[in-house]
Amino acid sequence: MRILCALHAHLGLVTALQRFPELHGEPVIVGGAPELRLPVVAASAAARAAGVRPGQPLRQAQQLCPAAAFVPIDPAAVTRLREAVCATLLRLAPAVEVGDDEVFCDISGRHVQHLDEAAWAAAIARALDAVLGAGSPAVGMAGSRFVARMAAMRSGPGRIRRVRPAEEAAFLAPLPLEVLPIDPAMAARLAAFGLDCLGAVAGLSPADLQRQFGPEGIRLHRLVRGEETDGVHVEPAAQMWSERLVLAGPVGDLEVLLQAARHCTETLGARLVERGLAAATVTLEYEVEESVPIAVAEVAPAPAGNVPEAWTVVLGLLGRLQPPGPVTAVRVEVAQLEPAGGRQTDLLRPGDSARDAVALAAGRLRARFGEAAVRRPRLALDPGDLPERRYVWEAPVVAAAS
Amino acid sequence: MPDSLSAALATLRRRYGPQALRRGDQQEAAERWPTGIPILDGVLMPGGLPRGRITVLAASSSRGPSGRLTLLQSLVALASRSRDVGYVDLAGTLDPGFLADLGADLHACLVLTPGHDRWERGLAMARTLTGAGMPWMGVALGEQDRPRTALWEHALAAFAETVSKRGAVGVIAAPAPLAAPLAHASSLTLTCAAAGWQRAHGDVTGLRVRVTTTKSKVGAPGAEAMLLLRYPRPYAVAEVLGLPSVVAPALSIAETEPMPAAAVAPG
Repeated sequence: MRILCALHAHLGLVTALQRFPELHGEPVIVGGAPELRLPVVAASAAARAAGVRPGQPLRQAQQLCPAAAFVPIDPAAVTRLREAVCATLLRLAPAVEVGDDEVFCDISGRHVQHLDEAAWAAAIARALDAVLGAGSPAVGMAGSRFVARMAAMRSGPGRIRRVRPAEEAAFLAPLPLEVLPIDPAMAARLAAFGLDCLGAVAGLSPADLQRQFGPEGIRLHRLVRGEETDGVHVEPAAQMWSERLVLAGPVGDLEVLLQAARHCTETLGARLVERGLAAATVTLEYEVEESVPIAVAEVAPAPAGNVPEAWTVVLGLLGRLQPPGPVTAVRVEVAQLEPAGGRQTDLLRPGDSARDAVALAAGRLRARFGEAAVRRPRLALDPGDLPERRYVWEAPVVAAAS
Repeated sequence: MPDSLSAALATLRRRYGPQALRRGDQQEAAERWPTGIPILDGVLMPGGLPRGRITVLAASSSRGPSGRLTLLQSLVALASRSRDVGYVDLAGTLDPGFLADLGADLHACLVLTPGHDRWERGLAMARTLTGAGMPWMGVALGEQDRPRTALWEHALAAFAETVSKRGAVGVIAAPAPLAAPLAHASSLTLTCAAAGWQRAHGDVTGLRVRVTTTKSKVGAPGAEAMLLLRYPRPYAVAEVLGLPSVVAPALSIAETEPMPAAAVAPG
């Protein structure tokens, strides 16, 4: 496994500077008003130069840096920014974890465009810089999450530090115990034993560490040797979005319903593009006057990640859904959302990268000429005696959408 | 060569690509898709089926079976083991069970049924899928009620252009007599003529077919070979898998059995 860690400005600070661009270069402390009994969430470079650190009480931060501007954190803006970072990086790496001030990417294997690992890391760093606009991040690459983070911390802004495979233990050996993400009491006991660096801890046997610290000792042993297997923690994407349009009055005209569905699809498609997601299932619902709503859903031939792909599916649904009376509202829903850029392809079939496009083209042909126009045969599990029962027909859906 | 002519040729190459012009004594270079069947790859179409070109499997006579559809389905089955395959069934004769018996990976096969003898629609659908990236496309044209040429020749030209642009393999099985647009669009035409049934213990086990390269823009025409299209036993997928469904027979042409008039076989 290869993991990239990029350290960047705190998302709270970035959103604060986006809200108040006049504070660029000034000491800024994010967390709220200084009279509140709250900790510092993030501090700008000028504030850190004055001794302000995240986690300090805001009142103490004010005493250290009286000239600082105190800004409350905007959780909604931070969430939006995190999603934007995630969407951008998912186009470059299959698994991405976006923290408040650090990003982890799984860079195992080889990227189709950036063949060299350093070029791949540089592309990720450039993308991160472009979306945050807060300067080049410090990047580290290694075989484990902890080592990658340490490498990034010992790198500098705009620089990449690579720890080659099998060199993790040598890289960690001279580092002090303070860098270990462990219980402070445990670190104090290690110091009491006279151990002053990670290399000294790595020299102990796992059995010794287990005797002293229990199961945590085994974890510590792996950590100091750069052998921990804790990878990238991918945050699950939202499961469903929907867009509802209430019509001016009850409508029976199919052309109006088509335009309403088009409007909802365009809104949802734009959101999918913005967040870098694709929907496996699309649902169309009519709210009928004085009756229960009717809906029809379909698994998209290939995950729909933009307006044309979603509209192809919605068009097919429009043909299938006949309103029994005047319609008062139209709702389009996209569900089973997944990262659009991180789809698994079939390794054993050449030309597989075109399968999504082929499935989409087949979906368009089915919508135009009927469902029997393009089908995929499958052998029946219980064929019986008749030859025509040996197979069944199914819709051409790519594996990622099923 | 005068300067003005050189300039004109350079302009044409710049506008339409380097393949637009070639000397008469130079053969067109074409990438190949090797079928893995020695007699096809070695004798009839050296190197395999040409990519980016249309290959036509033509029937020699409109009477009786020719084996072209069985040969097309054998090639589809072979191709499906390594890539996605589209099959346009305009003849209405495709039996997916038979395709599975030939060793096809049905999960890789997309069957298009545009309607009986809707050639223009079938070719347009084939073009759409090829343009979307389908690397191998087979088209089985029907024998009955052949539509007027004017209705489908433009769709055929568009399909041939898309096959060329995407570097796909395009194979069309066509009934006799071969329509002029198909003969024109083809880069490789293999004419199939049934030469007799293959029997074992009184049962028909295959069809012997004489295949002639009647046109080749990617090699020398005139090659001729005998193929045995062996019918796989139904309900025996595992047994058929991995076996070549098209092999060179040990028999010579003189030893073949005459075709019974009432016999019917797929293709």
